[in-house]
Amino acid sequence: MANLTSQQANQIAGIFLTLAQSIGDYRYKNFERLSKSENQQIKELHFKILECSDNLYTLSATLVMNDIKESLASINHISAQINETYKTLESVQKAINIATSIIDLGAAIISKSPQNIADSIKDLKSVWNTA
Amino acid sequence: MINKIRNIGLALILFPIVLSSCISLKPVNNYATASQKSINQFEDIKYSFKQNCLDNCLDKKINDLNLNAKDCDCKLNEKADSVTLLIYNATKGYIEGLANLSNNELTNYKIDEFTKALTENDFGSVKIEKQQVEAYSKISKIILRALTDGYRKKEIKKYIVNANEPLKVLISFLDFNLSKNLIGKLNVQKQRIESYYFDLTKDATLSTLEKRKAVETYYQQLTKIEDKEKELMVFSKALKKIEEGHQKLVDNIDNIKDERVKELLTEYASHIREIISEFNKLNK
Repeated sequence: MANLTSQQANQIAGIFLTLAQSIGDYRYKNFERLSKSENQQIKELHFKILECSDNLYTLSATLVMNDIKESLASINHISAQINETYKTLESVQKAINIATSIIDLGAAIISKSPQNIADSIKDLKSVWNTA
Repeated sequence: MINKIRNIGLALILFPIVLSSCISLKPVNNYATASQKSINQFEDIKYSFKQNCLDNCLDKKINDLNLNAKDCDCKLNEKADSVTLLIYNATKGYIEGLANLSNNELTNYKIDEFTKALTENDFGSVKIEKQQVEAYSKISKIILRALTDGYRKKEIKKYIVNANEPLKVLISFLDFNLSKNLIGKLNVQKQRIESYYFDLTKDATLSTLEKRKAVETYYQQLTKIEDKEKELMVFSKALKKIEEGHQKLVDNIDNIKDERVKELLTEYASHIREIISEFNKLNK
């Protein structure tokens, strides 16, 4: 027998819900005519059918997993590609920032100032790590 | 002088390229940004399959006068929530990525510091003219923007086309789980409480005042359930607009610069924003 699909489970849940509504309405309309035990029996039946409907709606929501596997994999793959492109474009700014720090370092070396050289290396390191 | 003329000429040629790339991605970004805000409202829906299960369990305990606090089995409902969350996260991830990538700020590179480093530093015998550096920096910025925007547009086009079908499937199933399955469970809950309170109104041992109090509680519970349904329905409306908007993007991917298409996409973005406001009003 073929497995139940999410749509089928949802449809059956809907049928049970309509059936439960009819049983409930019957009890409400005929409450005075029905005996106490008849009322109790119909109420229990009403609740059992509602429980079936409730469980089928939940089952339907879990069965969705079978329908989305491929799409989920595709969209996650595309999102990963988008993030890669984003990072690539963002890294252009990083390259500019690093180039700027290298120029500062070059100037510091030419100035032969140990303090300037140390500061520039520190800046370059920080740009490299944070950019 | 020749250099200056050459620079101005180059800038004039590149200016329209840069301008055109800015314009064509703006409608995409408007759509994606509005969609991103809208899809994020999923997190404002303070309701879930598990919560519905716990509510029903509590109603049953109250009805049965049961004080046992540890017999609510909501495992299947937790699974339903995790499937729904998985679809939401994947959809959100794509839309968020599209919004970030289509944002023109991404390729608005800052090279002022680079120019400053070249003009203000002392390079010993190597003399660098400030005016020349600034002129070349401006041109470099234009070329950089034109090249990266061209690349960005090409990639975005590819992603939008490839994502359309899987996105449609995911959005339709996210909607299915919320507007068909979760609302279905809320309808079950409505019938349950109707039955509980009906019996109370017919209970001969209760006074008229007690029955009135029970009816009042019934309507309060019913209103709460209906508010949740409204919230889910508004979110469902937003999901449909996001899906339709994405389809329009794909249908017009080669004509996004076209005024009519820009208007159409702006319209979708504004419809999505209207639904965001509608949702926020419900949540107040």
